[in-house]
Amino acid sequence: MNMQLRSGIYSQANSGSVMTNVFSRRRAPVTDVMGYWRSAVLDRLEELTRLNVGWDGYDGLPVSLENATFALRMLEVTCREDTIAPQIVPGPSGELQIEWHTEFGDIELLVRGPYSVHAWRHLPSLSADGEEQELTNDFLLVARWIEELSELNIVISAAA
Amino acid sequence: MIVTSDRSTDLPDFSTPPLNEVVLGVQFSTPKGYLQIHAGRVWELYRSDYPEVQEHAPLPPNFETFGIAHQRMSMPQIRFDSGGSHDRFWFVEPSGTELIQFQQDRLLHNWRKVVGGNNTYPRYEAMVSRFKEELVRLQEFMGTLSSQKLQINQCEISYINHIVSKPNDDLSASHWLRFLNFDDVPPNDFSVSAREVIRGPDGSPRSRLTYEASTGVLANGDPLIAMTLAVRGAPPSGDIESAIDFLSEGRRIIVTKFAKLTTEYAHKKWGRNQ
Repeated sequence: MNMQLRSGIYSQANSGSVMTNVFSRRRAPVTDVMGYWRSAVLDRLEELTRLNVGWDGYDGLPVSLENATFALRMLEVTCREDTIAPQIVPGPSGELQIEWHTEFGDIELLVRGPYSVHAWRHLPSLSADGEEQELTNDFLLVARWIEELSELNIVISAAA
Repeated sequence: MIVTSDRSTDLPDFSTPPLNEVVLGVQFSTPKGYLQIHAGRVWELYRSDYPEVQEHAPLPPNFETFGIAHQRMSMPQIRFDSGGSHDRFWFVEPSGTELIQFQQDRLLHNWRKVVGGNNTYPRYEAMVSRFKEELVRLQEFMGTLSSQKLQINQCEISYINHIVSKPNDDLSASHWLRFLNFDDVPPNDFSVSAREVIRGPDGSPRSRLTYEASTGVLANGDPLIAMTLAVRGAPPSGDIESAIDFLSEGRRIIVTKFAKLTTEYAHKKWGRNQ
């Protein structure tokens, strides 16, 4: 896995003219919390970008690097470090369905492409149809859904 | 639409800003019908002004997303090792001062101060005007491969400053940067970065401002502070006009923030006019 800085320094053309102190960027963390969802998601997304055309027996397309990267960026701003890994299912047009299914509720995120996400969740306390929302770049709502589902799991599991 | 021919009079302005490099860039969905074999034809669009070509590793896709605040500063990248990959080409002016970076989903225009050169920054207005023309040319070429226009999904504007002290100056960081104060025992070196969500009038997140400062040395051994300010995000729509508007707004944010983050001592050194 390649870790890239958020600074996007690689778009610069003159960075070779100066040697800056990059000690904080290159140090190896003692405990890099890659557990829980992140490493599983990375492995799965990489697997889906390697699909062959026709993977579904028809004309199914592989997931593009663009879609996979967007999905990862979306999860980065919605999942806590201890969130359980979602299931990720490819669609025939290269879209991604990201899902959490528990006995206490469900969340489904359909990533059609960058900045085009259909979000849906169902909890026992909601109507049978659940609630849904079209999202572009702001995923705070999904972060709340995931947190609520996580807490529900913890509370009910602890009470059982 | 933002007029790009005149400099805004309400923005901070410096006679000799410490600018070392400016990057204007867009990311777009790979146009239908485009293959790496077409890269030579893309170079032909710009070759008269940028006759030198170089090959570099491609930039990975990047998207600004918003949600919970405690994001990691470094992000994992997906390893893409299937199918064909596309190089990133640099088309460079003879002087080396300005260049275009092109790959199947990116077009960037860089101005940079060349080593030992006294080339002056052409100013944003001239640079963005040139970049817009380059984008239009690329879109026209891609239009010959399919009827689809460029679908721009991310913009970037970066200003990289090299704050170099003259021999009699004091390179204490707090002399230059308002947000740093190491008290009476300054460190030997430092590296700091910060991020800020830029919101629209309705409170929704629009883009992200990143600023970083780090000590370093030039090739000749002179110490400096490298300070980078960048704004990235998705334009409201995917067309060229929207991207140019995004870049112009990003430039306003960066220039205003730069003046706020730097000291009056620094402004005097750099000849602040307004």
